[in-house]
Amino acid sequence: MKTLEDILCRQPETLREALTLLSDEATRGVLLSGGTDLIVQWQAGAVPMPEQIIDLSAVPELKNISEQDGRILIGAGVTHAAIRNHALTRGALPALVASCASIGARQIQSRGTLGGNVANASPAGDASPALLVADACVVTASLAGERCIPMKDFLLDYRKIDRHPDELILRFELTPCPKGGIELFSKIGTRGAQAISKVMGACRIVMHKGIVEQIALALGSVAATAIRLPETEALLTGKTLTEKLVDEAEACVMQEVHPIADIRSTAEYRRWVSGRIVRGFLASRMTGFGPPSC
Amino acid sequence: MTQQSESSFRIIGHSVTRSDAEDKVRGKAQYLDDLPMPGVWYADVVRAPVPCGKLRGLHFDESFDWTQVVTVTPEDIPGENIVDMTGLDMPFLAFDQIQYQGEPLALIAAPSKALAREAVRHVRAEVEELPAIQSIQEMVERHKTGWADSLRLLEKKEIRRGDAEKVLADSGKVLEGEYWTGFQEQLYIEPQSMAAEPMEGGGVYIRGSIQCPYYVAPELMKALNLPLEKIRVEQTVTGGAFGGKEEFPTLPGGYCALLAMKAGRPVKMVYDRHEDILFTTKRHPSWTRYRTALAEDGSIAAMEVDMILDGGAYTTISPVVLYRGILHAALGYRCENVTVRGYVYASNSFPCGAFRGFGAPQAYWGLESHVEDLAEQAGLAPDDFRLKNCLQEGDVTPTGQHLLTSVGTPAVLKEALRRSDFHEKLARCDHGRPDAKSWYGIGVSFFAHGAGFTGDGEAKFGSRAAIELGRLSDGGPGLTIYASSTEMGQGAKTVLAQMAAEGAGLPFERVFYPLPDTRVVPDSGPTVASRTTMVVGNILYHAGHKMKRLLEETASKHCFGGASVRLEDGRFFAEGVAARLFEEVAEVLLAQGEPLRTEHQFVLPPHIRWDQEHFVGDAYPAYSWACNVAEVEVDPLTLRIHLRKITAVYDVGRIINPMLSIGQLQGGLVQTIGYALMESMQVRKGLYDANRLQTYIIPTALDVPEMDLHFLEYPCGELAPGAKGLGEITMNGLAPAIGNAIRRATGCSLRSIPMRPEDLYATLYQGAKDQ
Amino acid sequence: MNTITRTWVVNEVEQTVTFEGLRRLLDVLREDLRLTGVKEGCGEGECGACTVLINGEPVTSCIVPAVQVPEGAEILTVEGLEKLELGRRIQKAYIEKGSVQCGFCTPGMLMSSYALLSRNSRPTEQEIREAHAGNLCRCTGYEKIVDAVRAVADELERGTRSTV
Repeated sequence: MKTLEDILCRQPETLREALTLLSDEATRGVLLSGGTDLIVQWQAGAVPMPEQIIDLSAVPELKNISEQDGRILIGAGVTHAAIRNHALTRGALPALVASCASIGARQIQSRGTLGGNVANASPAGDASPALLVADACVVTASLAGERCIPMKDFLLDYRKIDRHPDELILRFELTPCPKGGIELFSKIGTRGAQAISKVMGACRIVMHKGIVEQIALALGSVAATAIRLPETEALLTGKTLTEKLVDEAEACVMQEVHPIADIRSTAEYRRWVSGRIVRGFLASRMTGFGPPSC
Repeated sequence: MTQQSESSFRIIGHSVTRSDAEDKVRGKAQYLDDLPMPGVWYADVVRAPVPCGKLRGLHFDESFDWTQVVTVTPEDIPGENIVDMTGLDMPFLAFDQIQYQGEPLALIAAPSKALAREAVRHVRAEVEELPAIQSIQEMVERHKTGWADSLRLLEKKEIRRGDAEKVLADSGKVLEGEYWTGFQEQLYIEPQSMAAEPMEGGGVYIRGSIQCPYYVAPELMKALNLPLEKIRVEQTVTGGAFGGKEEFPTLPGGYCALLAMKAGRPVKMVYDRHEDILFTTKRHPSWTRYRTALAEDGSIAAMEVDMILDGGAYTTISPVVLYRGILHAALGYRCENVTVRGYVYASNSFPCGAFRGFGAPQAYWGLESHVEDLAEQAGLAPDDFRLKNCLQEGDVTPTGQHLLTSVGTPAVLKEALRRSDFHEKLARCDHGRPDAKSWYGIGVSFFAHGAGFTGDGEAKFGSRAAIELGRLSDGGPGLTIYASSTEMGQGAKTVLAQMAAEGAGLPFERVFYPLPDTRVVPDSGPTVASRTTMVVGNILYHAGHKMKRLLEETASKHCFGGASVRLEDGRFFAEGVAARLFEEVAEVLLAQGEPLRTEHQFVLPPHIRWDQEHFVGDAYPAYSWACNVAEVEVDPLTLRIHLRKITAVYDVGRIINPMLSIGQLQGGLVQTIGYALMESMQVRKGLYDANRLQTYIIPTALDVPEMDLHFLEYPCGELAPGAKGLGEITMNGLAPAIGNAIRRATGCSLRSIPMRPEDLYATLYQGAKDQ
Repeated sequence: MNTITRTWVVNEVEQTVTFEGLRRLLDVLREDLRLTGVKEGCGEGECGACTVLINGEPVTSCIVPAVQVPEGAEILTVEGLEKLELGRRIQKAYIEKGSVQCGFCTPGMLMSSYALLSRNSRPTEQEIREAHAGNLCRCTGYEKIVDAVRAVADELERGTRSTV
């Protein structure tokens, strides 16, 4: 019977090496980043143990955080802990930082990576809503070159991403929160910490004199993938934020989500609390209170 | 009689540092899986694939090389294929009927865990599936609709006082309420771990993470076909138990023993967490229905309770859980007309078992939730109603027991209400009012826990323990305790040594409590029922006194020329001579060669009378009393429940070690936070659905509110040094206190636990009748 | 299947280990290096009993493949704490404050305490609790563990002031 020790592990030390391994079917093992989800899934038998893996933990090109042409670049191998601590992300991407702080606990944050979290493509993937509201692009790479795919197109379906077999996720490129804008994050979990979410939401909003100039809303755990809420965003953009508009937005959100019942929560509660999370985001902009507690 | 006690003890009542802490913080404490076991093989279990059915055959796939492993099937069992527990209805290995999914069908031992697991996958069970009962809802439905005969009844029992039925029938206003509780997994952080090896001259030596060495040994005699002396059982350092290692370890102990005897080599079994959650005992789910009537003056005229527990597939200890459940279901308030009817039915899931509280948390969820409605009906605030009606010294319990001594009520109730400013805070409760940014609520519960075995159980049992003078691991002389009580984190090793040292007149450091081994310790009874400090402590306190006198006599003879000697705090005193240290005198006594050993057997105060058949009389030798107050804030935006503060006051008699006692209280309350708000599992597709730590959610450090905890001491005068029971009462009352707080916060009465936002949502917005 | 050899500094001692494939760090520590102080409570990275520090960062070793621990990495387990002054202080505080009951979560819990106090010697209550949120305890209710960490933080603060 297969055990972890039976798995053939290749550990490239450069990006080129990794892409070369991927380019050849014979050496195209399952990609392993932090392993915080995969190792658990393999041991549980939820996902069959692979014959071989390509361990990306030693590839330095995946570990950078930098700024370029007004965009923030985060390597796929950057850990949640690193995102929490880095000045660039802390300054410009508060929802992403808050998401990373909500993943597991310290021990998981030290190991789990942004790329791993997105590639795992769980509907409850904690980083995805924040990435969606930051208009993130996923940059994939193969020996043939790089592709830049908008996050919302990258998440295809339940645990399915737009990654070709010979590609890996190289980095994420995000737009920083604009001047005058604010980012909010809310996670409804099963307890105070170390909890998979029932519903979570991220919001990026720019208000001016009570009018919603720009708004991006994204929710996780309410559909097969994390989703933006285009109808609710359209309803709000350019309008003066009033109680009545907030009521309408709440109702619109409830229409846009497709939650299921599972061991963590009911479909009805998820649908309702999706609207409530957005209500909370908007209400905080009306009264000027801080973001709702995560 | 009801004053707080004064104490002139040297060691008892002091926060002596626990004796096993150092090894544990250094990583030196060896739990079973840490012990080197050269040549050991690993056990695994072939399990039934359906929850109910007939086993037609077991097929061993020929493509697997079976010579690599050792297998045990029913035919290999040397004696009877039966686990010697109540009812004698549970086989070690199912051979005909399958009563729960996962029921063991065969055992396999292999040189590695992976090979054992692979072998298991090469065994196919041929089964004919039959309809299964898998939920307490189903059970209750059948019971209510007169279809109970279709269920297997494992036990039923009744308590009657006065004529509740008549008073209710005559009353104009009967208040009725139904309450539900679900499964709970003990979730000790060290998983179930057992090992066995064959002994020279026949017999088997079993070690493991257990609460009761003297449960494991006798319960294996029938199957192993061995006399008690040939089954040696020793406890290893145990990483938590909470009842989950009370009766359960007989099973993996038996599997390892059967395999070890067949293989002729040591075999061990350490469960992985997933397996542990799936295939070990859980707290019994419960349903209680209260029907009550008030008298004109706001007292309780009659109380009728029906209680049903889901026992899982076999009897095991369910009858005892039921007894404790019904004994606490109406234990709180004066009432002359009480009927409690209790039933345990079988279902097709893993047999339910012991878990801290043992029926009482289920009972109090019903009673203390129902009392809120009663208070409302009486037009009284919940604190006032309880103060008016609570049992006090001189009152009589539903079984007719007079509460004469060590009665910490209404003291605990008054103190908790005072400390929490309960009455003032009532006015602040939001009752779900619209436009509130947050809904605040405060709730109270009042409850007890009978300490020790029910009724004359302790008398019948006759627990024994011994103390012997010898040499300790540091080379110096000291006392070794021989008792079967087990340290599982609760501090027994330390407090029992404190009591023995107190009695013996020696410093705590000169008394050693080893891991119990049935080869050398007498049977002091199992480490259960909140009896250890009260009963075994009492035994060791007396044995300690006996040892003191023996040491004084022997020292007098050998060291003081026959003069009258007094041993006090580690020194021997005699008239006109310099005092001599115990260490010095003990060396002389040891050199004499006479064994210095004292024993004591527990004597139950003779006035305790109990009729087991009719459930009348003195149900417990003593009761601990408590009051919990919970304060919550519910977020109207998301219905998330935030526990803000717990105020808890307990009378558990004499406190032996304040630091350890507070630690037990903190731990038990947090475990109950999980029970009340987070821990949820159902049987789905034959198995518990929340079967990993990702899905079975217990509290973390971030889930703990402010806690104001306090003890009031009403020592049990008849059982020196006067401790009552602490371990379990910590779990009895917090859930209804939280429920009552949520009710005042939201206006919503939840009838089942755990209580979650989804349940509030369903009740508030979907018009769901709370189930 | 492939065989990997690494040299790490484990509890201040250089150790060379050899393992296959994706063997768990937990198993290398417990079985090969006989560091049985590191415990397995769940095997899925949820309970924290297996927590060790790799280059000062707390990780749940049951889901860390040993191959991902780089050459020369510094690993600290409970057995190494007594070699370090801060480690000894924390152990002493746990004993004095009554933070240990069954002891099974204790090694992992100590590692999280050490990781916190070595990077932040003045944590708030919230920070203390958050730093230990990945270590489940069923016995203590966490209170006395938080008390112990706070006591060490207070000690460190007094120590700092006294050297000024």
